[in-house]
Amino acid sequence: MNPEQITQQIALIEAILFVSKEPVEPGRIMEFLEIKDIEEFEKLLAAMEKEHLQDRLDRGLFLKRTGGGLQLVTKPDLHDELKAFFTIKQSTKLTIASLETLSIIAYRQPATLAEISDMRGVNSTSPVKNLLQKKLIKITGRKKVPGLPALYATTQEFLIYFGLNDMTELPSLEELTELFEEKEQPSLFK
Amino acid sequence: MEIETPSYQVQTDFFQGPLDLLLHLIRKNKMKIMEIRLSQITAEYLAYLESKKGINPSRESDFLMTAATLIYIKSRSLLPKPENPTEESPEKQLIHTLIEYEKIQKISKMLQDMEYTELLLWRRLEIGENFTNREYALKEVSAFQLAEIFFDIVKKKENEQFLYISSKNYSIAEKQEEISTLLGKNGFIDFSDYVAKLDSIEEILVSFFTLLEMIKRHLLIAVQEQLFGTISIYSNEAGKLDN
Repeated sequence: MNPEQITQQIALIEAILFVSKEPVEPGRIMEFLEIKDIEEFEKLLAAMEKEHLQDRLDRGLFLKRTGGGLQLVTKPDLHDELKAFFTIKQSTKLTIASLETLSIIAYRQPATLAEISDMRGVNSTSPVKNLLQKKLIKITGRKKVPGLPALYATTQEFLIYFGLNDMTELPSLEELTELFEEKEQPSLFK
Repeated sequence: MEIETPSYQVQTDFFQGPLDLLLHLIRKNKMKIMEIRLSQITAEYLAYLESKKGINPSRESDFLMTAATLIYIKSRSLLPKPENPTEESPEKQLIHTLIEYEKIQKISKMLQDMEYTELLLWRRLEIGENFTNREYALKEVSAFQLAEIFFDIVKKKENEQFLYISSKNYSIAEKQEEISTLLGKNGFIDFSDYVAKLDSIEEILVSFFTLLEMIKRHLLIAVQEQLFGTISIYSNEAGKLDN
């Protein structure tokens, strides 16, 4: 490929990502550009990231790998100014109850409402409802026990919301235990 | 009971639940979960519950249940123990639950940090889009979303004042006829507009059930063109062939 073609492809990738509302799967772009080699594609991305976006202080966007796709997002230090420009007072954050519920679903999925309530020690109907509305979780089926309770699992929106590319980016339970042990409570599980 | 009891009072709704409160008490007393001194924790836990004025059964039932467990464990410890290691004692169970809950708290904290970092980044979809091309973003909506909009509209209607009491009765069959005619004429129905034009809550209810019924039978489909946009009803051509 000659340098001219490369430049054009980089420009096209940037344009596709600019127009798309959702993260775009790399495979789709590769297919469109007829690129077979993933390394070749990664080189294009790296060129775009380095020369055009990430390293340039005069650019407001950068390339983010999230929810299994690529997306252009604004740079974090522009947050306050953007908020002022669009007159948005406050970004809504999840409540502690919702975060706890999500933690359980993320690590135990699929999980039922009863299991979640049991682990939290409180009835969790409303955080589950709230998370369903926000599409951070979905019903994946019914547990084959009396009452056929709904089973909940996290969604692609969950990945995007927390900036994860896929579920493997969450630390595993073992890693977490180690993390906790090292940090604050060295003698917790002696 | 405890001198420090009053300091909890300001935090009535501060704790997420009984486990959160228990962990707080354990940390406050600088104990380790595995070496928890239950008698002390039980006393403080009960003191906290007592310090709350009036009990809201729906919220506090979880707290009361844990209180019962704590008292049960305490009373068991007064009795001679049969040595049976295979049996899970309630004390062990509680400790296990607490350890698990502490993990959940840490994961929540981690997710919260991730959320904070992510909220600083803006994506395209966060500000309303103005794609006018109808074909572009049609998205089928669930009955759940339809119901949500329905209740919004009913709420608005409830605030309106009616000057007469309608005695007219509506039937699903008639409504279905009406909706089909309307669709034949206009091609589609704007859900909010349609419901807003109806006279009474009763008529809205019947119309809504008719719509749900027709969607269920694949005669209609409901689509939402953009986030928070209005919902349009179309007749489902493909579904007609099936029926």
